[in-house]
Amino acid sequence: MSMNTITFAARRAVRLPKPTNALQYYFSHSPSTSSARAPRSISTGGPRRRYSTPVNDKQQNKSAVGVFSPQAAALFVLAGTGLFLYFKWEKERLAEQKQKDMESRTVGRAHVGGPFQMTTHEGKPFSDKDMLGKWSLIYFGFTNCPDICPDELDKMSAAVNTLDESYGPIVQPIFISVDPARDTIPQMARYVADFHPRLVGLTGDYATAKATCKAYRVYFSTPPDAKPGDDYLVDHSIFFYFMDPDGKFVEAFGKSSSAEDVVERVKRELEEWKAERGRLV
Amino acid sequence: MGWFGNRKEPPAAASRQDRTRCWEARDAYFACLDASGVVVAGSEGSRCAGQNKAYQENCARSWIDYFNKRRVLAEQQKPILAQAAMQAEEAKRRSS
Repeated sequence: MSMNTITFAARRAVRLPKPTNALQYYFSHSPSTSSARAPRSISTGGPRRRYSTPVNDKQQNKSAVGVFSPQAAALFVLAGTGLFLYFKWEKERLAEQKQKDMESRTVGRAHVGGPFQMTTHEGKPFSDKDMLGKWSLIYFGFTNCPDICPDELDKMSAAVNTLDESYGPIVQPIFISVDPARDTIPQMARYVADFHPRLVGLTGDYATAKATCKAYRVYFSTPPDAKPGDDYLVDHSIFFYFMDPDGKFVEAFGKSSSAEDVVERVKRELEEWKAERGRLV
Repeated sequence: MGWFGNRKEPPAAASRQDRTRCWEARDAYFACLDASGVVVAGSEGSRCAGQNKAYQENCARSWIDYFNKRRVLAEQQKPILAQAAMQAEEAKRRSS
């Protein structure tokens, strides 16, 4: 009995509303009856059965985000697109600049070179590992070559001489035979003596020459069954290659490049390498 | 038959001196052919016999074939190269 009295008293003291269910509660708090803040635009009648309040939401949004009209939206999109395009352009410009700086270093480096095993004109074994730690200029040719090979080897020797003066012996000239049947070790020894004193002549058998040329993307026409005494010429690629101390391809020089062109290109690469790694080899 | 034929197998490759001698003999022979208005070596009759003999003596057979073929090729390319040079000249003139 005393329990009932207390409950009753408490209810009276706080004047609790007496909603019987949610719907009744909503109506008693709907804007049309509880607040006159916004003018009613849709309904002028009494309380209507509505389950959401779009009008009211719109008003609140407007006061929260300010003026957001279609024009503002268009301006926003336009400015955004403009900025996006500008930054894209700027980014491309910078990338282009960087590419120019890195020209032919890491970007688009050709897959030229690879493992090989041949013999020097002194009869010593020589592999791609022996090229590491030195810059190299490599020419592929044959000792019975009428004019192009000696011209190119002279050009290479001249370039190496000039580079020796500036840097010391850090560029190794190499001559690789594409005519192993006739280019024996003594033959190579006689031939390379006509050119740079450091020039290394490499020869081997047909299979090793073929494999080396394949690694260096060099074409040659020597028939596999060529006899040492035959008088024939070999058609072959006449580029010479410039490789870095890691054994990676840097540049190929053709007949149209002069010794000065070669020196200039090699020097540029050497300086870039030095700037990057703080040493020349 | 000169330095090439006399050697045992494998024949020694031409040394720098050998090459120079061969090139000089070739140039002399080709100059004679030019003077006679002959392009294809061997079709000059007996006109450059002396130069031809030196050429044959100082160059390997394969070299002679190569130089002779290249002479014909170069002769054929002459008008094309001249035309290309003229076009390049014209393009340069127009752009400046």
